[in-house]
Order: sequence, then C-alpha cells, then structure tokens
Amino acid sequence: MNRGLTLLGLTSLLLLVGCQAGPRPLNRVNQPLSRLGSSESPSLAGNWLALIASRQAGRPQVQLIDVRRNAPVPLPGLNRADSLPLSVAVDQNGERLALVRQRDDRSELLLYRRSLQATQTLAIEPAGVPRRVSLSADGRVLAVEVSRNGLWQVDLLELP
Amino acid sequence: MVRPPATTAPASTTEAALLLLLALGLAGCGLSPLRRQPAAPAGLGSESREQPALSGDGRLLATLVERGGRTTVLLQERRSGRVLPLRHLRNRQPHSSPSLSWNGRYLALLLQQGARRQAVIEDRATGRLQPLPLPAGLEPDRLSLAPDGQSLAVELIRDGRRSVQLFDLSQLLEPDRAPGLRESGGGPGAPP
Repeated sequence: MNRGLTLLGLTSLLLLVGCQAGPRPLNRVNQPLSRLGSSESPSLAGNWLALIASRQAGRPQVQLIDVRRNAPVPLPGLNRADSLPLSVAVDQNGERLALVRQRDDRSELLLYRRSLQATQTLAIEPAGVPRRVSLSADGRVLAVEVSRNGLWQVDLLELP
Repeated sequence: MVRPPATTAPASTTEAALLLLLALGLAGCGLSPLRRQPAAPAGLGSESREQPALSGDGRLLATLVERGGRTTVLLQERRSGRVLPLRHLRNRQPHSSPSLSWNGRYLALLLQQGARRQAVIEDRATGRLQPLPLPAGLEPDRLSLAPDGQSLAVELIRDGRRSVQLFDLSQLLEPDRAPGLRESGGGPGAPP
C-alpha cells in the first residue's frame, strides 16, 4: 500500500515537473555575463553572443562572447572612446558584426570583419538615421531600421 | 654582359603598372560593398516598420507594423514580399522584438499578457504557440533566438537595470538547422 502511494506521488511529481517545463537558465554563461555589468541588445548566432555591456559608470562597449568557451573575445578596432554603440548583430561564424553607433552626434552603420580587424562604414541611402540592425546568421543580408522623413523604415542590404 | 635595351624596362614597368591598376580595379569590383533591396518588399507601400529580424538564411523578414492602431508583427518572404500567416498572434498586441530561427520555422517575440510582456515562440511547422515563462520579477525587453532554436538570449529588466541572460530551449523545441548540417558532433574539424 505504502509502495503504491509512493509510486503515485512520484508519478504526480514527474507530471508536475513535466507540465512546468520551460526555458532553463544557462547559468554557466549567465554568471559570467552578470559580471559584465549592465548588458543589452543581445544577438545570438551559432556559438556567439554579441551584446552591448557597460560596467558601472563605464562607457558602453560591444562585447562578443564565445558561448562554448564562455569567454569574451577581443574586438580590436571596434570599440572607440568617442562613440556609443546602439545596436549590434553577429553572424553564426562570429566573423561579421553589424553595428549602429553614435559618433559626433551622428548615427552610423558599420560592418566589422573580425578576421581583418577592420570596420567598414555602410552608407544609408537615401539619407536616414539608423537605429537597430539585424544580420542573417549566414552573414549575407543586413536589415536596418532607419528613421527617414518622419517614418521608421527597414533597409535591406545584401553583403558580398 | 649584355644589358637589356633601355626601352624594355620602362615598357615592362608600364605594363606592370597597367596590370596592377587592372587588378586593383577588379579587386575593387569584388569588394563592391552592397546590393540594396528596396526597403519595402512588394505590396507594403510606405508604412512605418520597425524592429527588423531576418531568418538565419536571410529568406524571411519579420518587422513590426501598425494594424488598426496596434503594433503587430508581420512575417514576409524577403524577396517577394509575400506575407506568411501567423496563427496565434492576433488580438495579443502590441508585439515586440521578433526573432527568427534559421529557416523561419520558429518566431520568438514578446506579446502583451495583461500588464506584463510574455515571451512566446510560434512554431510555424506545427502551429503551436509555446509560452516561455521567465523568472518572476524580471521584465523581458528584447529577444534573440539562436538560429537553431536551441537557445534564447533575453534582455531582462529588474529595478531599472538591464541584463542579458541565456536560456536553454533544447527540451522544448526541435532544432531548425541549415540544410546539410549534421545532427551530432564528431568527425574531422569538430570542436573538442
């Protein structure tokens, strides 16, 4: 009798746990992330997480985290003292990062190639103010939210 | 020792310079940065659109548009502009922060659930809406779904402070991988 009740209790517990299945926090990544300070604008692709992080009273910077190794990788030439990143997106190889940043009171759209450690400014045509960016995981298409003539529009760019 | 005719060197130099210019020109064409697609795919006019999200393969585009005064996610084929149906999202606006998996099978987004924003995923293959309950006391503000649909990055707000956290979805969703990608690890070139 007792054994039956135990089995029934165990089954009920398993059912309850099953019903409550939801997203599980990846604590091995989240704990180091919390040490970055405030963080926002995540972009997740493959083993890469790009975001904008700022420690207390520090300037926001683009960070690229290798999720598999659970460590940030260097991005030489991307973060500048005179600019403020607004939005970032990464491809699944962690090779291309698209970035909208504010510099000298202007917003600009950039493409950063990690293997070249080089940024390329992408012109907004017709003129507009970029705000948010999305990069396809294959790194071939860029979608940019642009303020133009009082409307928010989406520009699509195919990258070589 | 016979020196080459004096005229040879300049001619070679000129040819070399021309070849170099040609090569640079071709390289320049190769780097020609971008092909622009008209901002609004066919049939959309010039309405306001925000928060673009591309599928991993770049084939689909999700954006936010105004429909009847409510911010609504719109899913389209990027090239043709054809609008794709979403079953579960009507009457649960405003929507925000759409994010797509590789083939666009999964659309993650935030929708309004009473006074709170709720993260959900619509599975376009099965028509199922998967709620994603997040830890209490945290307000989700932005999502990024991994292209394979196996994890989700969420920008969360607690007491005005923003932080990004990752969540494992592998118990909830089948992978939505690029065609040709293997299902399991191992083999040459696989990470240790």
